[in-house]
Amino acid sequence: MSLRPKTKRILWVSVIALVILIALGAFFTWTKFFREEKEVFANEEEHFKYGSLGAEGDRGIPYYLWLVLPRIFPDLMPGPGGYKSFGVVWEEGHEIPVGFSKKVVGFARITNNCAVCHVATYRLSEDEVPHVVVAGPAHTHNVQSMLRFLFKAAHDPRFNSDILMNEIRLVSANNYGNGGLSFIDRQIYHYLLIPFTRKALLQQEKQFTWMERYVTGGKPKPQWGPGRDDAMNLTKYFMTSMQEDNTFGPTDFPSIWNLGIRSGKDNTGKQMLLNWTGDTPAVRSVLIDSALGLGAPARPWFLQRMADVDHYLSNLTPPPWPFADTNPINQQLATEVQKVYARDCASCHEPRAEFTNKVVPITEIGTDPERMYSWSKDAAAEANRRVKQLGIDRPPMVDTQNPYGYISPPLDGIWLRAPYLHNGSVPTLRDLLSPPEERPQTFHRGYDVFDPVKVGFKEPPPRPIGPNGELNQPYFLFDTRQQGNGNRGHTYGTQLPDEEKEKLLEYLKTL
Amino acid sequence: MADAPDQPAKRQRWKWRSATLGLVVIGVIALGCLYLVNRFTRDDPVTYADPEEHFKYGSTGGERESGIPYWIWKVLPKMFPEYLPGKTYTPGTEYVSLGFLYEPGKDLPIGVSRRNTQEIDRVFLNCAICHAGCVRETPQSPRSIYTGMPSNTVDLEAFERFIFDCASDQRFNAPRIMAEMEAMGAKYDLINRFLMRYYAIPLMRERLLMLKGHFRFTEWEPDAGPGRTDTFNPAKTLLEFPLEKLQTRELVGLCDLPSIWLQGLRKQKNFHAHWDGNNSMMEERNKSAAFGTGAFPPTIDLKQLARIEQWLLDKEPPRYPFPINAQLSAEGEKLYAQYCANCHGRNGRDFTGEYVGDVVPIDKIGTDRHRLDSYPEELAAAQNTLYAGYPWRFSHFRKTFGYANLPLDGAWLRAPYLHNGSVPTLRDLLNPSAERPAVFYRGYDVFDQAKVAFVSDVSRFDEDGRSKDDPENPRRYFKFDTQAKPNGLTARDRNEGNSNAGHEGPAYGTTLSAPEKDAIVEYLKTF
Repeated sequence: MSLRPKTKRILWVSVIALVILIALGAFFTWTKFFREEKEVFANEEEHFKYGSLGAEGDRGIPYYLWLVLPRIFPDLMPGPGGYKSFGVVWEEGHEIPVGFSKKVVGFARITNNCAVCHVATYRLSEDEVPHVVVAGPAHTHNVQSMLRFLFKAAHDPRFNSDILMNEIRLVSANNYGNGGLSFIDRQIYHYLLIPFTRKALLQQEKQFTWMERYVTGGKPKPQWGPGRDDAMNLTKYFMTSMQEDNTFGPTDFPSIWNLGIRSGKDNTGKQMLLNWTGDTPAVRSVLIDSALGLGAPARPWFLQRMADVDHYLSNLTPPPWPFADTNPINQQLATEVQKVYARDCASCHEPRAEFTNKVVPITEIGTDPERMYSWSKDAAAEANRRVKQLGIDRPPMVDTQNPYGYISPPLDGIWLRAPYLHNGSVPTLRDLLSPPEERPQTFHRGYDVFDPVKVGFKEPPPRPIGPNGELNQPYFLFDTRQQGNGNRGHTYGTQLPDEEKEKLLEYLKTL
Repeated sequence: MADAPDQPAKRQRWKWRSATLGLVVIGVIALGCLYLVNRFTRDDPVTYADPEEHFKYGSTGGERESGIPYWIWKVLPKMFPEYLPGKTYTPGTEYVSLGFLYEPGKDLPIGVSRRNTQEIDRVFLNCAICHAGCVRETPQSPRSIYTGMPSNTVDLEAFERFIFDCASDQRFNAPRIMAEMEAMGAKYDLINRFLMRYYAIPLMRERLLMLKGHFRFTEWEPDAGPGRTDTFNPAKTLLEFPLEKLQTRELVGLCDLPSIWLQGLRKQKNFHAHWDGNNSMMEERNKSAAFGTGAFPPTIDLKQLARIEQWLLDKEPPRYPFPINAQLSAEGEKLYAQYCANCHGRNGRDFTGEYVGDVVPIDKIGTDRHRLDSYPEELAAAQNTLYAGYPWRFSHFRKTFGYANLPLDGAWLRAPYLHNGSVPTLRDLLNPSAERPAVFYRGYDVFDQAKVAFVSDVSRFDEDGRSKDDPENPRRYFKFDTQAKPNGLTARDRNEGNSNAGHEGPAYGTTLSAPEKDAIVEYLKTF
């Protein structure tokens, strides 16, 4: 059957028109949703603080949506200040907090990076701008609170395009020629990005049901609190599809500077282990697994980035004691006590010593066992399998006996690693040198005013809020009686006379 | 079939007729769309060639989405005179009892601009509402208007209260306002009448009530009074900080409006400006202040603002118009150089000095710390997101811990003094706090040449706040009390934030002899 010439022409024109339309559509889609803009940073430190791990596709929140959420849902946040009320670190003049990345993949998206849990602040009084220390433990940041905020917002009826776009139009809109979001970009936000993000948040919430699950005894799981997360349960439920259990393994964020002294073999040739229960034999593996947990995609670029971060962190010097003006270290006392340190502490805490970065049996160390229970040999095997499936070749997690114990880490920069013990249950070094019954049963986490005498963070005073001046304590109440929060154990040095403890504190300040 | 041979011709004719009809219809629709597009993209500010006029009446873009329809502006004082301080409707100078300044031949007061957006005339505030004032030599003298000086007469908070009271009143409804406006001479065409009646007026009410809610913090602090405002608590409402959760010490943020001359010199030396020195970048301060005129990142008129910015770079304060004792002034110059120059600059045009533009720690300067505390770290962090996505994103706001030393150009026009305007005259500032007036009056514009300030002494005003020297003047001026009260539930009850303590001691000249102090004041007249 042959077609009339006229019909043939019409057909050809239509086909060509269609092809052109599809091409334009594809180009439009690529520009608006997939085109990546390269990030440039002045140095490795800036890259660590604000660089992207590539999680935009998996976890990225559209930038303007992220920006206005605190203005639409201030009642769902702990206090005034937007994201700052979660205790994020926000450097002067910067657009986003430390630990956040704003990267354009089609449109600007917000994701988190390593620094969200690994940047510390300190200051001597509230009348001082906080000092920021990269790779320190983010003891102020309440990550769980921030996550829960996002989920609560997604459930809230106010999370709709009408309300959100009203606010976004006050922030950026090119309706009078000043620049900002174009008409098309605003429609993309309205009809695609906002509804999609809402769905994605509700989806992601389902991956966190284990966080809300009741522990044994019918009591709800204790909060992580600022500066902590349930590290191995996070890994367990994100990387594997193991069934939810009742374990609660709260983990104080560690410092991750100077990692070079924790990797490889110790002075006797034994393999050193990382993670509080010694689950991993290599720095690289911890970095990879943590980054995968933040939504980083397993691509070749990713492995190169991990190698760079490894190099940076392995060689990052820990922060020296900064209070020489007001509270200088008494060098004489520090020297006098070195014999005691060598006798009582060095074999477990001196870098590459016989028991440093090795598992100390739980019966010996006596600290809270919940963190230990949250991980298992099966979980390790499953996690290894999953990572291999992603095509990543990294030193595998160790088959741990279950239960076993906790590792003892080196004490580089220990002055800034408060609170102490694996679950952050002891606020200051001085308290750690006291017998457990004398350690504070409750204290507050998240305050960054430093106590240079006890070495740790001070107890925040309650403060009057609102027009009537009611006293309020905005910081997180940490209760050591709750499951996973026990502050017993590590009784080393608690029987020393007080003067020796004072000297020991001076020496620890030098590390 | 008699018509058979005509059929094709008839069909042809109909074809042509339908085609023509079709074209006409499309043409009409197209024209209609063009007209509507034209109408709804109209954006015409009233512009002025003269930079001074532009400053007083030009638009920053606030009217675009925060504008008050012109006729509503005119009609509200007529409908609701009881909400004005003067309690009377004064056609032609409707807002005069709020301290707004009307020049002869002008329909709108200084500080109110006008723009036609989408075919509706709107007005809103501009820079001059806070940064233009007036001086009279005697109650009978004519008024001199000076731009760039801190407004001494405008009671911004009273204006806010007025407009919020109007919006809360049940008489503020669309049919009633339409009727009143049209009775006054407003002529709206069909489309505008529809839009005003069913959209613009209800939307305006909704917005005003939203703003009223935002501004509830003003009930927790003392009244601002003329020439003062709370600068940074409104900034928190812009970011929707939950006000009831703010720290109590943050809630009093009242401060005196500042002068804005000679921005070029200030920019050159990177002065930390705003009373607590929280921002050293002029362009950011300008945009930050522009929020107060309703100008947001999408709506700010950068071109018009740039004209003002340019003009302010070199705009000098006016010379002191009254006699100066040259000999006394020369003595004052020596004392000034010894006691004041390091922090305040060599003179009114030479800002060199070791500590000029620096922040002095609060314990050292000793002045009332409420304004400082009203600007918390959380706000400084959040302000990094203002103008996000634009090349001029704010990045210079900092939390500081004291107040900044600023130059004294045009000091004679900047009364009352200190960041919270708690010291009425220059001469009083050179006395220790205990000898400064505990109570005085603000808002008056007659000049006191002896003490260098506006007439403010309690003896010059009756208990209603009326000027005793000016019996014809119906205005009631604002009684300013510097003393905190010991008891009271809120900071307002305790009258916190108005203390006149600080900036005293040997280094600040308060232990000099009376003639020496007089000499310094005489010299300051030359600034």
